[in-house]
Amino acid sequence: MTYGIETRAVFKHFPNGVTALSDITFGIRQGEFVALIGRSGSGKSTLMNILGGLDAPTSGSILINGHAVDYKSRKNLIAIRRMQVGFVFQQFNLIPSLNALENVAYPLLFNYAPREERNERALNLLALVGLGERAGHLPHQLSGGEQQRVAIARAMVGNSSVILADEPTGNLDSKTSAEIYQLMRKVNQEKNVTFLIVTHERDLASYCDRTIELSDGRVVP
Amino acid sequence: MIAKELDFLRISARQLMTKRLRVALTILGIAIGVAAVIGIVALSDGIRYQAIETIKAQSDLTLIEVHPGIAEGVTTLITDTKVEALRSSPHVLAVAPAFMDSYSTKRQTFLQVVAVRSDEIDRVLNLKYTSGRAFSPGAPEVVFGADLKDRLQRNEGIRVGDNFTALVRDYDPSGMPIDRQVPLLVTGALGNRDDRFDQYVLIDMTTASQIRGEQKGYDTVFVRVDDPDTVFGVVDQITAQGLESTGAFEQIKAVNQFMDAILIVFMIFAVFALFVGGLMIMTTMITSVYERTREIGITMAVGASENDVIRLVLYECLLIGIIGGIVGNLLGYLFTVVLNTLGKPFIIARMGPEFSSIIGNEIARLSPEMVVAGMAIAIIFSLGAGLYPAVKATHLNPVEAIRGMM
Repeated sequence: MTYGIETRAVFKHFPNGVTALSDITFGIRQGEFVALIGRSGSGKSTLMNILGGLDAPTSGSILINGHAVDYKSRKNLIAIRRMQVGFVFQQFNLIPSLNALENVAYPLLFNYAPREERNERALNLLALVGLGERAGHLPHQLSGGEQQRVAIARAMVGNSSVILADEPTGNLDSKTSAEIYQLMRKVNQEKNVTFLIVTHERDLASYCDRTIELSDGRVVP
Repeated sequence: MIAKELDFLRISARQLMTKRLRVALTILGIAIGVAAVIGIVALSDGIRYQAIETIKAQSDLTLIEVHPGIAEGVTTLITDTKVEALRSSPHVLAVAPAFMDSYSTKRQTFLQVVAVRSDEIDRVLNLKYTSGRAFSPGAPEVVFGADLKDRLQRNEGIRVGDNFTALVRDYDPSGMPIDRQVPLLVTGALGNRDDRFDQYVLIDMTTASQIRGEQKGYDTVFVRVDDPDTVFGVVDQITAQGLESTGAFEQIKAVNQFMDAILIVFMIFAVFALFVGGLMIMTTMITSVYERTREIGITMAVGASENDVIRLVLYECLLIGIIGGIVGNLLGYLFTVVLNTLGKPFIIARMGPEFSSIIGNEIARLSPEMVVAGMAIAIIFSLGAGLYPAVKATHLNPVEAIRGMM
């Protein structure tokens, strides 16, 4: 059995003495759709950053699709961000000066992909998230839900098999939130993409296959 | 690869478009610096050009006088071999070796005598006779310079065609002077040349040697060069032989040295202007990186390497530099145009109308090399100023950057 995400005894201590993560060990199967819940300060964001290669654990190891992440190698981390893991943020975090299509294609810029290929893939993904008609719009011309759709498309554009979503609906109303969850579910099922979604909304967590709960940096059994 | 760089450039251009006013002011800053540099160089080039043209118009630039060289106490004499080497070198039209002597008249008028061969000196100096003819080889004959002729005629009644007695001073073994009397015929007088030859007596070299009773070495070689622009090459050749050269070309050298000195002083101020422009770019880019902290964090989160981020920032600087260089060159060109149209009447008014002919067309001259240099300066300064903000951008922690904690 290959896990999309696997953590083994992950610890994270901050220089100020705070222990953010303590002995985190779990596995998420490829194609699973999992919610990560917990109070604020429970270590959810820290864990997400470590899984996405943006931060390094103090000890322990992480495997993405069966391959251990080498946190000492910048190249390896960059490769993971480029091709393995996509991010979806609470703040959408699109580049304001680029339109929807360019935002989706943006990660491919660092992948040496030719322009035509980038645009084609970005357009396909925009169509998948239901925004094929709005490719030329700038982020400020899109609603919050539309922006998050663009962000999801961007997270998928590198053919990432894992998407880490940090409070993806935190800034959206409940109706739009539900639509975003349905979209992520669709992507999950159609493309067999593994999802780990941070949320504090229990009813949204119920959309998911299962829930991992963090409390004070530990997995609640 | 190139396509990728173009894509990066496109993204950077898009970033610049989002802060047009700030970028425009920054571009103006670097452009003023570039304009100051090329304007000053154009002005000093123009002044240098005019000064040299004036010297060319007023002096006999193609005449070089060669003298024995003295370096570190060793004197290098002018030998026949060296004279022949000069004669056969390209760009040299004619050479006339000479030695100097001094006689006097019976009434003690000092005569500076130049012993030459008449055909040679004629070819070098293009002598014009107002009366009489040249001296004949080997004959006891002399030719007077214009001023000397007037003086001797007025004071001593010696005219062209007259015989007169020159006193040639020797010294006996005890060091006492003995004056010998030498009869000479004045065969001709030269026209006014406005140079030292107006005071000289020309005599045939063989005759002068016979009068002295010995073969003297050459004191001077007069060299005629084909073109004012080739003078310096010939001078270098003479210097390489260990000899010294003098002539009107030294004025050009002096003008060049003087203008170089002025240029350096002016340049210091122009470079200040450039540095201000560079600092503006740095401020703009630091602010821009700071404002885009979150964006840079996202860029890194989606897979950009440090190099990618540096490139994105530096491409913005490159664009600022290119536009700044173009605008700077335009401003510099405008400066020269204004100077040439408005400044010229002013200078003519100050210096008098006779300068209007000397000041031909341009006071400021903008050369193509200078335009290229202005462009290069703008780009180099822009990239230099962008380096710190670019590297600073890569030191952002993507996690904190995305959260907006910076």
